[in-house]
Amino acid sequence: MPTERAGQWGTVARPTGTAKRSLLLKETGLVGVVLSLGLLLTVFGGAMPVRDRATGQTRTVNRFLRADNLDKLAKNTSFFAIMAVGATVVIISGGIDLSVGSVYCLAAVCGAMFLNRFGPQGAGAGASAAWVVPAAILLCLGIGAIAGLLNGLGVVLLGVHPFVITLGTMAIYRGVAFVMTRAQAYTHFPPQFTDGLIRYEVGHNLYPVPLVITVVVVVLAGVYLKRTVTGRQIFAIGGNEQAARYSGLPVERVKLKVYAFGGLAAGIAAVIMLGYYGAASSDAGKGYELDVIAAAVVGGASLSGGRGSALGALLGSLIIQMIASGIIILEIDQNYSQIIIGAVIVAAVVLDRISTVLRERRLAVTAVPEPEISERAEP
Amino acid sequence: MEDFGDKVGHPRARGSGTPLVAFHAVSKRFPGVVALRTVSFHVAAGSCHALMGENGAGKSTLGRILAGLCRPDEGHIEIGGRTCQFHCPGDSQRAGIGLVHQELSYCPNLSVAENLCLSSLPRRGLLVDREAMVERTKRFLDAVGADCGPDEELGRLTTGQIQLVQIAAALATGARVLVLDEPTSSLSLGAARNLESLIGQLQRQGTTILYISHRMEEIFRLCDTATVLRDGQHVATLPLAEANEDDLVRLMIGRSLAAYFPVHVGHSPGRERLRVEGLSSPGRFRDVTFGLRGGEVLGMAGLVGSGRSEVAQAIVGMDPGVKGRLFVNGAAVTIQSPRQALSQGIGLVTEDRKRFGIVPEMGCGENLTLSALDCRGGRGFWARAVRCPRCPKREDCLRLWDWLRLARERALVLEYFDRLRVRAASPAVPIATLSGGNQQKVVLAKCLARRCCVLMLDEPTDRVDVGAKAEIHRLIDDLASAGHAVLMISSELPEILHLSTRILVMRRGRVAGLVDRADATQERIMQLMAGRTPSPGILERTVHAN
Repeated sequence: MPTERAGQWGTVARPTGTAKRSLLLKETGLVGVVLSLGLLLTVFGGAMPVRDRATGQTRTVNRFLRADNLDKLAKNTSFFAIMAVGATVVIISGGIDLSVGSVYCLAAVCGAMFLNRFGPQGAGAGASAAWVVPAAILLCLGIGAIAGLLNGLGVVLLGVHPFVITLGTMAIYRGVAFVMTRAQAYTHFPPQFTDGLIRYEVGHNLYPVPLVITVVVVVLAGVYLKRTVTGRQIFAIGGNEQAARYSGLPVERVKLKVYAFGGLAAGIAAVIMLGYYGAASSDAGKGYELDVIAAAVVGGASLSGGRGSALGALLGSLIIQMIASGIIILEIDQNYSQIIIGAVIVAAVVLDRISTVLRERRLAVTAVPEPEISERAEP
Repeated sequence: MEDFGDKVGHPRARGSGTPLVAFHAVSKRFPGVVALRTVSFHVAAGSCHALMGENGAGKSTLGRILAGLCRPDEGHIEIGGRTCQFHCPGDSQRAGIGLVHQELSYCPNLSVAENLCLSSLPRRGLLVDREAMVERTKRFLDAVGADCGPDEELGRLTTGQIQLVQIAAALATGARVLVLDEPTSSLSLGAARNLESLIGQLQRQGTTILYISHRMEEIFRLCDTATVLRDGQHVATLPLAEANEDDLVRLMIGRSLAAYFPVHVGHSPGRERLRVEGLSSPGRFRDVTFGLRGGEVLGMAGLVGSGRSEVAQAIVGMDPGVKGRLFVNGAAVTIQSPRQALSQGIGLVTEDRKRFGIVPEMGCGENLTLSALDCRGGRGFWARAVRCPRCPKREDCLRLWDWLRLARERALVLEYFDRLRVRAASPAVPIATLSGGNQQKVVLAKCLARRCCVLMLDEPTDRVDVGAKAEIHRLIDDLASAGHAVLMISSELPEILHLSTRILVMRRGRVAGLVDRADATQERIMQLMAGRTPSPGILERTVHAN
């Protein structure tokens, strides 16, 4: 989803070719992300010599750009990217949602219990997959959206900072999931849902469905943010809530939508997770909230609100997952992975900050001074 | 800071003319506006130096640079012959400069004593030495004649008291140069007089004073030298003994007053658009009643804090505690949010543009259509949720369900850019990069694009440069001629007098009087605003000042 802001209007002098591309990057604030992504690709994407233990010969192989590795990367990215899109929308509106991991878990657990009941070993084993599968999906999405809506109601009605509300619901939702499952894992889902849908296999060991869902979610969210009235209002509320209120925007209603969307995104991620792994327990998604927010921030979302894009959320998640998988490929000690990921998050945000400062400075320099008196004001 | 005098030589030598503070080619740019352009002048030690200019001339920026609150892009400041680089307000304090300005730069939740000693809390070991702090505070409060105790919470004091505390705090840090930024603009007459006598006393004690104001009367009473800025440029520095008010006004605005306001076109008021009856809000205003007709400009005058803005806020539903009745086009309505006000055709252009008027990072076009996007007219659930909201066939509806019609939006934006002469490179540039005048035009256009027939403008020309100011005046006039009902709140009396059909004067939260255009004189309005008869000499002078 191209999120170029200037493009909506068509600038006075329409830039073309490279100029236009660089403008797109600058306007969407994705300079840092794209640079980091390119850097990572060069580091991981190169072929490297590997000594084959059996024969003792050294061969040059590329372990990153391989179908199975890319597929794994796509799958790992998909959960995060979808949740990061939700988190980005919340962050653009000037809020924050710490409960994504728990909402994801709650939706997954509810879906898992349902699927288990109607699975091959459950009480309702005979039920037709034609309604079980859609019902399970709707259940996950519904639980996610309702949990998000409750977050939104807390923020709007109680007037408490979203950080506090979602910190509370983070514990509450996970607690509910824990009580419901009695800390038990649920498996044995109808194969039509797992192998037949989410783990649909094309070729050898390639599962494209999570990637497709992610792309669809990102595109829809991008369109929603940039081409709808509500999307515009989300940016306005995050940019200056008071001004938005004075401009007559339905601030409360938009906030409810935003948090519900955040929850819905967690619900979609839960569906993919259920189908892919075929199991869920109340431990699912522990600590995801910070990874997801990190992905959103790396993707250019500003925690003070008013800035961010769905495409950025996707790229941000991709970066974090690429580092995680790159660490394995480069055979770096696993214990260092957290340090490296943390450093990259800070670096990406600093890069973004620098590009913003440079842009502002350029604007200040090129500011056109007002003419002393306009012709019309002349007596 | 006690050794400061040695470095400078003899700062206490009054009127010696030795420069204590010198600005050398100071320039400062902000996004969208050049605030200062190579400004050079010096302030003599022991003098009371007035810094004058219109809104947006760069006076306050200069004060802020001197106080270390912002850094100049080019040029430098010399204090007592030494070049100074202030990186933070602390540096400036150490160089002996104290800033007193209206915006509260202290912590309202702390006590007077804590605020006053904030930069150098007396300690006993690791802990704060409370007794020493209170003792020190008392000493400086006495010095400025403040009538508040050291233990009172700062947030509960009046503006006048807070300003005295700020002066005391500046003295406590050992300030030799006191920068006063429009100190009297929000004070009652009595408090302003007290402040003036304090300033005179401080000056006699050897403090150098940089007095930022545009009030002639005070400046002629207090100051010995004046520097005039216009549009960020240094126009003149002259001893006040050699100048009169007309000279200063001409220097400030660059031409005579006659060209300053557009020739007023008489309006013929139409039917009553808005009627307010017995509007009261505890602690803000009481029993406000007025009517606003289409085709008229109702000026609302009053001192800051007299409840003018609060009334406008209450009308658009931003005051939950308000009581009273509201009629729009003769029908009683209840309005609980700006959203409902807009759907009744009442738009408010707020005073603090940056906080309440614009979404800074959004494009100016997007800011302009913010209100117009959301014109749902249908009643009932079905009409609002299922049918295309509002006007299924209207040509200029900006939405199709939730879908933005970008082409129509762009056309609307360009139309208003053209009508209001908004100067922006494109509708996509962030509104924060525009100059104050253009920002204000966009905010006005936001209400117009929503088709408001009642416009309430709170300080419409605040922080707007001269050219744009005249254009906005012209626009207000045009809007009234076109049948809009305009309520204009302004602190600038000349603006009120020239543009209003009738003038409503507020004093201490009550309507002090309603004056027709024909009977309105500056004296009469001032009298109603202040609640007593000031001496005629003062009034005569202020006529041209604001």
